Amino acid sequence: MSPGRLPAALPATLAAVILLIAGALAGCGSTPAATPSGPAVPVAAPPLQTSFADGTGTSWAVVEMGGSAAQEENFWEMFARPAGAAAWRLVTPAGVADNGGLVAAPAGGASLLTGFLPSQDLTFSPLADTSDSGAHWATAGPVNPGLADVPDALAARPDGNLIALTSGGAKLGQYGGTGWTRLITAQALAATPAGKPCQVTGLTAVAFGSAGAPVLGTGCGRPAFAGIFTESGGRWHAAGPAVPNAGEDVEVLRLASAGTGLVALLQVGRGPDAGTIAGWYDGTRWTLSAPLRTGSVRSTAIGPGGSVGIILNATHAATLAGPGASWRTLPALPRWAATLALGPGGQVDAIAAHASTFTDWRLAPAGWGQQQTIRVTVPYGSSG
Amino acid sequence: MPGMNSGLNDNNPVLVAAFRAALLHQGLIVLLIFAVLAVAWVSAREWLRPGKAASPASAEPAWRQLLRIGFGALWIIDGLLQAQPAMAAGLPSQVIEPTAASSPSWVQHIVNWAGTAWSYHPIQAGAAVVWIQIGIGVWLITAARGSWSRLAGLASVAWGLVVWVFGESLGGIFAPGLTWLFGAPGAAAFYCAAGVLIALPERSWATARIGRTILAAAGAFFIGMAVLQAWPGRGFWPGTRHGQRGTLASMVHAMASTPQPSLLAGWVRGFGSFTAANGFAVNLFAVIALAAIGTALVTVAAGRGPAWLGRAMLIATIALCLADWVLVEDFGFFGGLGTDPNSMIPIILLVGAGYLALAPAPAPAAEPATAQPTAEPAAAELVTTGTGPAWRPARLARAFGAASTRAVLAAWAVAMIILGAAPMALAQASPNASPILAQAIDGDSAPLNFAAAPFTLTDQDGRQVSLASLHGKVVLLTFLDPVCTSDCPLIAQEFRQADQVLGAKSHGVELVAIVTNPLYHSVAYTRAFDTQERLTGLPNWLYLTGSLAQLQQTWKNYAIAAEIAPAGGMILHNDVAYVIDANGRTRTELNLDPGPGTASTKSSFAGELAAAAEHVMRPS
Repeated sequence: MSPGRLPAALPATLAAVILLIAGALAGCGSTPAATPSGPAVPVAAPPLQTSFADGTGTSWAVVEMGGSAAQEENFWEMFARPAGAAAWRLVTPAGVADNGGLVAAPAGGASLLTGFLPSQDLTFSPLADTSDSGAHWATAGPVNPGLADVPDALAARPDGNLIALTSGGAKLGQYGGTGWTRLITAQALAATPAGKPCQVTGLTAVAFGSAGAPVLGTGCGRPAFAGIFTESGGRWHAAGPAVPNAGEDVEVLRLASAGTGLVALLQVGRGPDAGTIAGWYDGTRWTLSAPLRTGSVRSTAIGPGGSVGIILNATHAATLAGPGASWRTLPALPRWAATLALGPGGQVDAIAAHASTFTDWRLAPAGWGQQQTIRVTVPYGSSG
Repeated sequence: MPGMNSGLNDNNPVLVAAFRAALLHQGLIVLLIFAVLAVAWVSAREWLRPGKAASPASAEPAWRQLLRIGFGALWIIDGLLQAQPAMAAGLPSQVIEPTAASSPSWVQHIVNWAGTAWSYHPIQAGAAVVWIQIGIGVWLITAARGSWSRLAGLASVAWGLVVWVFGESLGGIFAPGLTWLFGAPGAAAFYCAAGVLIALPERSWATARIGRTILAAAGAFFIGMAVLQAWPGRGFWPGTRHGQRGTLASMVHAMASTPQPSLLAGWVRGFGSFTAANGFAVNLFAVIALAAIGTALVTVAAGRGPAWLGRAMLIATIALCLADWVLVEDFGFFGGLGTDPNSMIPIILLVGAGYLALAPAPAPAAEPATAQPTAEPAAAELVTTGTGPAWRPARLARAFGAASTRAVLAAWAVAMIILGAAPMALAQASPNASPILAQAIDGDSAPLNFAAAPFTLTDQDGRQVSLASLHGKVVLLTFLDPVCTSDCPLIAQEFRQADQVLGAKSHGVELVAIVTNPLYHSVAYTRAFDTQERLTGLPNWLYLTGSLAQLQQTWKNYAIAAEIAPAGGMILHNDVAYVIDANGRTRTELNLDPGPGTASTKSSFAGELAAAAEHVMRPS
């Protein structure tokens, strides 16, 4: 080999090495192949925008207003319409930035317990309660760690017993009490004899049963199994209905006390083909509605007499008057409809929320009619 | 990437002014060093009998001159680009973070370290890079021969590696979308390659082997890049996909959207539209051109092919690189905070050097009669002339007088690098971020001297605490809302960090917060806040609360406004801290709006708090 000349094979060898490296780098940049998901399917959080009626007939609505959540310019607002009143009023409890969301639970009579979901650097949940339909609030709590991001993260009984569904599992507390005790975690429930057949994927709702026992809603990895569990005698029992013809997993979207029983909304399956089923428990047995193909719902409402309503997308919504009734598809929704609000006698309102404007639309035979508009002073910039 | 950038505006006037001032001060010192060196050198030549410089064994070949001067100029341009006013605050967020964003997490982890280090001391870091890069450039250009010249090459390799790893996220080679068209595998990699070639010993200059090696490596590189460009599934073939721009078209479009002269933007936008409409053809051209040039380079390196192939290959390389530099890379430094002209010019220089190195090495130069600028002895060589031990002052001075202009300039360049690097090295020795960050957010603190208003409140454990009971200790006093979602948790973290900064001195300091929420002010909430902020184990931490009347009186005494915001807003209150000395006198008021709350700003505020406490601890 002459000193000024490369071996003839060197350029080719170099090129081959570079080709290999290029191939490896191209592999690095390729989209990885999809991997099968494990058995623990994460629970899809039910929408927080909601409305409900308490024992006195007062309607409550929780909607998101303002701007971008990413910039903490979104604010969750609570509105109340006392029984017999025609108008809603803004009753959002003050003192805490509520960008993370608001959840609420009727506590008997005109009492309501509200919790602030964690946001930004706040990791616990302040609580507030009212006994005059939101005219005045008192502070309660806090719950640490913070409440879970589901609409039924709180349950309250008139005797002062509370359940909080937190990121660390379900906890039991008392009005005016200083501490919370652990009720159960999703992992612990999944390991119980009652939880194993369900293959619990996560806790999604808490409520009190008619006898005052804690009731938990979950997602189930096992098809056709509705994850509703109640505790008695220190043991957990499956209390949910079997969902017929459901070849897919079921998740409890909503769970609330209704009279002497419970009302539940169940999501069957996932994605655009998911369906919604309502269930009513009268203390002895469950009555299930027919499934309605809904996809992932955008908001849920629970009204008097166990009536339920759901918003499917920007224009479609449906209601159920109660056990044994059929789904009623509503006319195309008004713009910015955030949740339905169900009143006595089959009254249906659509609550629209956009930026700083709250609008109540009432459903009449001729269609939606505008009932009321409230301009909310959204406190932009107060939480950034 | 947590902590990578300070979160401050790139054009924050305090940071920009401080960066300019640092560059100006260091620039004056650089000029002073130059003047001192020049005077000393002229004096040594005038008054002492200078020694004779070592004669060169051979003249520097053209390829090495091209690399040395070309990359020297590039380093100087890079250094000048680093002096842009927004660079000090903006480099982590505008350059490092976007570059690392698409890389794997382990790359981001490495890069995050550098971004954090920069964001802690942005002024020192920004100025250091300016002087290091200008210094290396001057060093490369002026040191033409000998050990100093080779050392300049090694310095280029070392700093190029730093830039490649931390500034270019390893050239993005582990990120998807890697393409020669946008400068893969990173301009700094070519700076390193050039540095290695410059650092080669003189004996390697004698044959054409070096030229063949350069061209073979360049050829293999071009062929590898052609393969990457052609690889299916990487998104370079379609101009549009599902009505959206394809990978190449969207990259060109993004480049066209950055602020730049309208003429250039028009060219780039036009090419972007052309690519979107003819994506397949553009990529096919790129693949064929890269493969053809690569094959030609390998052929020439192997000593095969017709005589004209080498020149044609060089012209084609220059044409392709220049077209890419203008139409795709946007000259490399337009748009945002450009830090270098990207990789096309370095590639042209390297291929050009390889081509020149194919020619026979020049004959040794004639020995000069006296020390002339062309002679370039190394420092070590200088001190071997004359008689007696090398370190004797007189002999050193004679040797210095014998040095060429280039050697003196090279020494000046090294001094420039040290001048830039030293303040950054000193700053890095401190675990705390620069106080300039806190000043950039809230301005300077206000010195005060009056008796602090008394208070008696309840701490997180239910005990009564009065200001008088803290007599004998420095009190850092602030006002926090326990259910606040943004500022108050950050301020609490700054207090906790300040305690760590104070170390043993924290025994003499009490960290005190008073609740500023008229609604949520029970002890249950101060405890929850302490748990949230991991303050429960801090022995000198007190979070005080009381009845609404007690709190309102205290807020009034300390000029704290606590306003209830409507409709889900946070309590509005001012972020402030008071430093109360051991005698109960308020000595300083600090604005404590925590700004973006990044790791560097929190550290900066913690340092400011600790410094304020230490200041009043000193006997007056």
